[in-house]
Amino acid sequence: MKIPALKSKFEAIAARGAPAPVAGAEATAPIPLVLDTPHANKGIDLDVTVPAERVVDAAKIMDDAKFMIEAITGVDWLAEHQLEVVYDFTHVESGERVAIRARIPRDKPELPTISHIYGGANWHERETHDFFGIIFTGHPQLIPLLLPEDAKFHPLRKDFTA
Amino acid sequence: MEKQVEVPPGLIHFAMLDDVLNMARANSLWPMTFGLACCAIEMMATGASRFDMARFGCEVFRPSPRQSDLMIVCGTISRKMAPAVVTLYDQMPEPKWVLAMGNCAISGGPFKFPGQYGIVEGADKLFPVDVYVPGCPPRPEALIEGILKLEEKLRGKRCFPTVEAQ
Amino acid sequence: MSTDAQSVLNETFVLNLGPQHPATHGVLRIKLTMDGEYIVDADPVIGYGHRMHEKMGENRSYAKFLPNAGRMDYVAALFNGHGYVGAIERLAGITVPERAEYIRVITSELNRLSSHLLWLGAFLVDLGGFTPLLYCFDDREQILDLLESVTGARLTFCYYRFGGVCNDIDDDFVAGSRKFIARLRSRMPMYDAFVTKNIIFRKRAEGIGPISAEQCRKYGATGPVIRGSGIAYDVRKVEPYSVYSKFNFDIPVFPECDCMARYKVRVEEMVQSMRIIEQALDSLPTGPVMAEKVPRTLKPAKGDCYFNVESARGSFGVRVVSDGSENAYRLKLRSPCFSNMSLFRECSEGMLLPDALALLGSLDLVIPDIDR
Repeated sequence: MKIPALKSKFEAIAARGAPAPVAGAEATAPIPLVLDTPHANKGIDLDVTVPAERVVDAAKIMDDAKFMIEAITGVDWLAEHQLEVVYDFTHVESGERVAIRARIPRDKPELPTISHIYGGANWHERETHDFFGIIFTGHPQLIPLLLPEDAKFHPLRKDFTA
Repeated sequence: MEKQVEVPPGLIHFAMLDDVLNMARANSLWPMTFGLACCAIEMMATGASRFDMARFGCEVFRPSPRQSDLMIVCGTISRKMAPAVVTLYDQMPEPKWVLAMGNCAISGGPFKFPGQYGIVEGADKLFPVDVYVPGCPPRPEALIEGILKLEEKLRGKRCFPTVEAQ
Repeated sequence: MSTDAQSVLNETFVLNLGPQHPATHGVLRIKLTMDGEYIVDADPVIGYGHRMHEKMGENRSYAKFLPNAGRMDYVAALFNGHGYVGAIERLAGITVPERAEYIRVITSELNRLSSHLLWLGAFLVDLGGFTPLLYCFDDREQILDLLESVTGARLTFCYYRFGGVCNDIDDDFVAGSRKFIARLRSRMPMYDAFVTKNIIFRKRAEGIGPISAEQCRKYGATGPVIRGSGIAYDVRKVEPYSVYSKFNFDIPVFPECDCMARYKVRVEEMVQSMRIIEQALDSLPTGPVMAEKVPRTLKPAKGDCYFNVESARGSFGVRVVSDGSENAYRLKLRSPCFSNMSLFRECSEGMLLPDALALLGSLDLVIPDIDR
């Protein structure tokens, strides 16, 4: 079981602070930063929230623990004026899953890329950029992947109209 | 994107020769391998052992549009793909026919919803279609019926018996 | 050698493969920078089959999305359906009756057989051999007859519902499945002699297209790709779901990392699937096939969860975020082919073009599953 060892490593990063909520956004309950979750109910074993600038450190922790990248996706929390990026990792031997979340403000949706650590993140980040307009700084080829080459729209944003 | 093509009328009409040519064309339609999505698998099944499109002359699937005369549009045409589809249609030499297979090629199918951003709602928005075969996906028997309908359009009469529903 | 001759030798040209091509299994485009017949860089361009599934997940109710699930990876549509209903059942806390779980396993494994048979035929067509396709489709049609009698569809199945399956199986289906398994078992030696031992196929597949286990981990490649690279990762064993833990079956793993290893994994998986189906038919319990009291309009509690299944192509995952309403707030569909394809660029450097096409065929891609 790797989860207890990972938990302490994540607590070191996550404790450095979550992004402050934007004034005028809906007040939400404080996000628990590192959470054990039952696999049978949530599908994941560890749910970690890190500040946006620390995702590279989080990805390095996962890589050192020999986890496999499963998916990267975004969620548009329009009411809270935030976009959330969710990274899903799994371990091929134990089947343990870790989800890492990072929240960024909707007006300036930027966070660093992890494609130099995990090659698979290259396409996942391009797809997330296509759908949400999130800029992954340092990405070698942040051009549309699923949308046409000249597309300038981001269809999965909640305020998108065709 | 309607394209009006002016075909000059022939000066001389050979009635018997036209009939023979039409019969030859109908009996040996060469489809282009143009599978876009799910319907492509049913097209492959129609060409494979049980349903065997080769019985009707459509055996020779040509990958190149320049050697084919029938484009079976099977699957959804996305807006990213639309220019490529039109290019392929333009590259086919006359006489050419288009069979829209499946609901996506007819009208956008299950992917047409208000506010959709990604697909072209039907192949006939891009070029003229001769036969529409509905279904999602249509059964191989339906595709064969569509081919026979096209052959009827070419020949002027139908050579194979129609199956009556019981 | 003079500098002019040297520069001519170092010239590369760009070759466009697709999006219409007989070997690309759909609308895939690869921008190849070639040095003669060797690939310098292969940049895949996808999105030609993008059909907005994730957007449709948000603007319709959970039940209305069920037909979409079968149209992503249409060759193995029941797995996508299982992934989707499993995620919603996990989120809403719905328990599936045992008979329904057994039926799901039986139909899913039949779908795995039909998917692998189609892959086998298509792979050989890519390599230039047309005849195995006709044999494989013949067997596949028998499976589709069985599944059609139960689900009503041949290809894009929409059979699983939240809480079970929509239609029970009857004795004809059970007898037909047993008869089919006996028939396919007797044909496996024919496929072995015809394809696996074929010298041309062996020369085209052995040692071709190496993908290391570390590359699989970095890119998230799962399914026969990672099992052909020596790692025994199968969601049915590592994260058991449904009733797979009740059956005796092996996970075929081959360490050679080449196209032949991935081929052998899939052929062996077919044999194992037949074992699972037989055990499931032998121990099929009686009972209802639908959970009771599943609301007509599902409104799961706020929250999110992840659920994944072992599809014919790899680990298919669904991450669903609910805000308590009847539509999902966010539906992320983790497609196995997307991750499997993403390693093509790195793995195909320096390969001959026909070898790269063999690698592409052995990855078993369905492009609308990548594009969703």
